[in-house]
Formats: sequence, C-alpha cells, structure tokens
Amino acid sequence: MISLTKRFGKVQAVSDLSFTAQPGRVTGFLGPNGSGKTTTLRCLLGLVQPTSGTTQVGGHDYRELPNPAAVVGATLEASGFHPGRTARGHLQVITDAASLPSGRADEVLALVGLTEAAGRKVGGFSLGMRQRLALAAALVGDPGVLILDEPANGLDPEGIAWLRGFLRARADEGRTVLVSSHVLSEVQQTVDDVVIISKGKLVQAGSLGELTGAGISQVRVRTPQLEVLRAALNAEAGSGARVNVVAVSPDEIMVAGLEAAEIGHLALREQVELHELTPVGTDLEALFLELTGGGNPGGAA
Amino acid sequence: MSMVRSEFRKVTTTKVLLWLTIATIAFSALNVVLLVFLTPRAMDLGSDVNLLLDPAYVTNILGAAGSSSIFILILGIIGMTSEYRHMTITSTFLVTPKRPRVLIAKGITYALLGAALGAIAFLTSTVVTLIALSKENHAPVDLTVALQILGGVLLAFAIYAFVGVSVGALIRNQVAAIVGALVWVLIIEALVTVFVDWIGKWLPGGALDAVLQTTNVSGRGGSDILPTAAGVVVLLGYAVLFGILASLITLRRDIT
Ligand SMILES: Nc1ncnc2c1ncn2[C@@H]1O[C@H](COP(=O)(O)OP(=O)(O)OP(=O)(O)O)[C@@H](O)[C@H]1O
Ligand SMILES: [Mg+2]
Repeated sequence: MISLTKRFGKVQAVSDLSFTAQPGRVTGFLGPNGSGKTTTLRCLLGLVQPTSGTTQVGGHDYRELPNPAAVVGATLEASGFHPGRTARGHLQVITDAASLPSGRADEVLALVGLTEAAGRKVGGFSLGMRQRLALAAALVGDPGVLILDEPANGLDPEGIAWLRGFLRARADEGRTVLVSSHVLSEVQQTVDDVVIISKGKLVQAGSLGELTGAGISQVRVRTPQLEVLRAALNAEAGSGARVNVVAVSPDEIMVAGLEAAEIGHLALREQVELHELTPVGTDLEALFLELTGGGNPGGAA
Repeated sequence: MSMVRSEFRKVTTTKVLLWLTIATIAFSALNVVLLVFLTPRAMDLGSDVNLLLDPAYVTNILGAAGSSSIFILILGIIGMTSEYRHMTITSTFLVTPKRPRVLIAKGITYALLGAALGAIAFLTSTVVTLIALSKENHAPVDLTVALQILGGVLLAFAIYAFVGVSVGALIRNQVAAIVGALVWVLIIEALVTVFVDWIGKWLPGGALDAVLQTTNVSGRGGSDILPTAAGVVVLLGYAVLFGILASLITLRRDIT
C-alpha cells in the first residue's frame, strides 16, 4: 500500500499511509476509533476509491484480480447479511459467484463452528455468530491473504482464543494475515508485526519485538518503607534518568524506567525492606495510548 | 454464468419472489373477474349490447395477464436495492469487483424471472377466463390472439424486470425507488398519457403497452400506441439507459 489518501468531503480519513503485510506473518493493524482502519481496508479491497495513492494485494490491484475470492478473504465491519437468508444460503451465494462447489459452504461453516446453525436464518444470529459467519465467508475460496476488520468484536473469550490459534495456524501455513483492532492487548498475543495509525497517519510499523523494545517496562514494588524508597527513586529521577513512579496502594508502587535489579540495588543502599519486586513487562496499552495521542476520535482535516 | 447462478440463489433464498408471484397471480385473476362480471354488466345498464359477444373484448380479458406489470418492476427494484439495504453489496462487490458485471448478471437473471412470471400471469388469466366464461354467452377465444398475448407478456415482463434492476441501481434507497416508481407509473405517466398522449407513448409505460398490445389495462383506450417492435426497442432502451447512467453515477460510489 503506497501513499494512500482518502477524503470524505471535509473529513481526511487516511493521509499518505504506506505499509506492507508479509506472508507467513500475522500483522496487527491498530489505531483508535475513527483513525481510518476500516477506510484503509475498504480502499485495499476496491470498495472505496482512494483520493490518491494505490493499493495492491499479491502484486495486483484488487479490482484486477480474476477470481478475488481465491486470493483474498475479507471481513469488514457492517458488511451485511440478508436477514431472511440462512447461513448456508449466504455462503452459497458466494460459492456460486466464485465458481466454487456449493459443498464448500458446509466445510467453512464447520471450520468456524457454525455447523449447527447452517440452516438457520441469519436474522436471528447473535453478534458473535455473525462474526463467525463473516469469517466463514472470507475462507470459502481458501485464500492466501486474509484481511479481517476487528474480527474479535462480539466473540466470547473462548471464541477469541480459538480465533488466535486459527490466525496463527493460517500464518504458519505461509498465508498473509492482516487483522485490525483498536485494542493492542487484544492482538498482542497473536501478532508478529504491528502497524499503528492515528488520525489517518502512520505512527509505527515494525515487528512486535521492536515495539516492545521501545516500550516502557515496569516493576511492581511492595515495601513497608514506601516513603524512603520513593525519595531515593525520585532522587534517581532527578539525576537525569527517565524514571516514573506511580503509587498503587499505601505499600505498593509501580516503577517505570528502571530495571528490577537497579531498584533492588537502590533498596539495599537505602536499607529498605522489600516485600515484592516483580517485573511486569511492557505496558503496551500505555505505549499504544502514548503513540496514538490518547485516541481522539474524528480526524477532521 | 456463475454470476447468474449466484443471482438466482439470492432470490430463491429469500421470500420476495414468492410474495410477488402470489401478487401477480391474484392480480391477474382479479382483473379477469372484473372484466368478465363487472364491466359488461355496468355497461349493460345503458344499452342492451353484451360486451362478452365482442371478440375484441374477449381478447382484452386475456390481456389482463399484463396487468401485474408493476409487480415485475418492483421485483427488479428490490433485487438491486435490497443489496444496499442489507449491505450484502459488500460481499457481492468483494467477489465481483468489476461492478457493471453485477448489474448485467442481475439484468439477465431478472429478465428470466420476469418472463417466468409473465408465463404464470398468462396461465392464470387464461384459466380464470375460461372458467369465468364457461357459464356465459360469449364470443369464441381466438387461440392465435392468445398466443400473441403470451409472447407479448413474456417479452414485456422480461424487459420490464430489467428496467426495475436498472432503476434500483440508480436509486439505491429501496423505499425511495419503490415509491418513486409507483408515483411515476400511477400518477405521472398516467397524467401524461391522458393529456399529451404523443409523449406518453414514448415513456416506459407506453412502450410496455406497445409490447403487450393490450389496451384495457392501462386505460390507454383510444390513444395511439407504438408498433410492437418499436415498443421492444424503446423499453430495452430505457433499461440500458438507466443501467449506463447507474454505472456512471451511483454504481461506482464508495461502499462504506
Ligand atoms: N462514508 C463516510 N463518509 C464520511 N466520513 C467517513 C465515512 N466513512 C468513514 N468516515 C470518517 O473517516 C474516519 C475514519 O473512519 P474509519 O471507519 O476508517 O475508522 P476506524 O479506524 O475503522 O474506526 P473504528 O475503530 O471505530 O472502527 C472517521 O473520521 C469517519 O468519521
Ligand atoms: Mg473500523
């Protein structure tokens, strides 16, 4: 995707965005509400005409693909179902158009765990069932590229765990998987790469490792002599190191910017008794909020 | 071909077709009954002529098959607009990103469905006519004329359904498209036909009547009408014109 820009009237939804999703990897496409994720994916899928810039899937413009269902499978928010049509009927409409055998409908329904509901009308489906049906529709053509817009919305915890494993397996088969989300923690266990946007602009693209490397790791500290340790930590902060101390309870603080060993050393020097010293890893959510500037929806030009 | 199959699957997996088929049968039957029992009697009051003895009038009764044309137009409109209404247009365009192809496949599908409904309407009107006339004193039913009516209804309904699809592509809001079509057919066209019939015969409804070559249905009584072949061309022209306009304007709009 190269230098994509999309304006809806006065609203600049996406500005000069470029990124690539690699085969064999799960790429998380992240951004707060209204940051332009759905718009970007719709441009990629030929549903929305970009104001400028180009998008390619597997080296082709989506609209030039001879049988797109066999190359790209996609789910989009607010993509619809006819309420009077059954789940199987909905999928067979697609298998027909894509010249696939209609038996494929039941195969993908089994894949997403909807076999029992195959003959039921979609009008009576729950949000989670619709998500699964949308995913089934994306899978009919057994595509090498999966583009999923907030696929975890409405899924129960079991469903989310299943989805993670499913996406991982697809990527391990060498497929390209691009999933959007507005919560980093939702996808951090699954994704290899991340693309983060805010207000239509790219803020970060790279592997998850690079991102966590740039992140802020925290240490949980419990001590009965909180004030003494705090003073020492603040003195350390004053000496130029980027240290951040947050009080959690009267005997507990979260420290960012120092390793557990450094804090332990400091405690020993100050003769402070420690009850707990636990590294809690990167606070990705804080990092995400920092990168995306607090997630202010909108994005008017 | 696969796309036409997909379109057939779309209509057969919902109820619209069933309801409009029932409406077509009911309306054709109702029109025959009115023409056989009500109209001749009402006219009898003033004179002692029995209309049922007039062969032209008996032909008109069979022509009631054409009376349900409005349902055919609505069928085509719903076929296109329900995709936008339920947002299934997203998955339709994902499988077929070259959008005019969708319009063409739908046009072909609904033309075939229109013809099928035309056959059903003709069957209904013929059977009901024969039953209704069985106890009446009437002019004989001319088989050749009946076959001409059948041909006209098949052709007219096929093209008219295609017009409906094109109209739906142009006016994507289902309610607006149906209300607009009803206002056009029942009010605007009717008025134009009554007051300036030389324009009226060139309008879609006029072209439709030329293909049907029945005069009782639209109340186009004595007004002149295009030859059948010209009617076919004009009606097809509207279907194609609306389709091209839709491709240039509404069909390429963003799907969000
Ligand atoms: N059809 C449209 N007309 C006008 N503005 C639009 C349209 N579609 C999207 N926008 C605007 O473009 C911006 C990006 O919207 P988009 O739906 O792409 O965000 P998103 O990242 O998918 O958000 P979310 O997390 O809520 O799904 C928003 O400001 C939105 O209001
Ligand atoms: Mg979105």
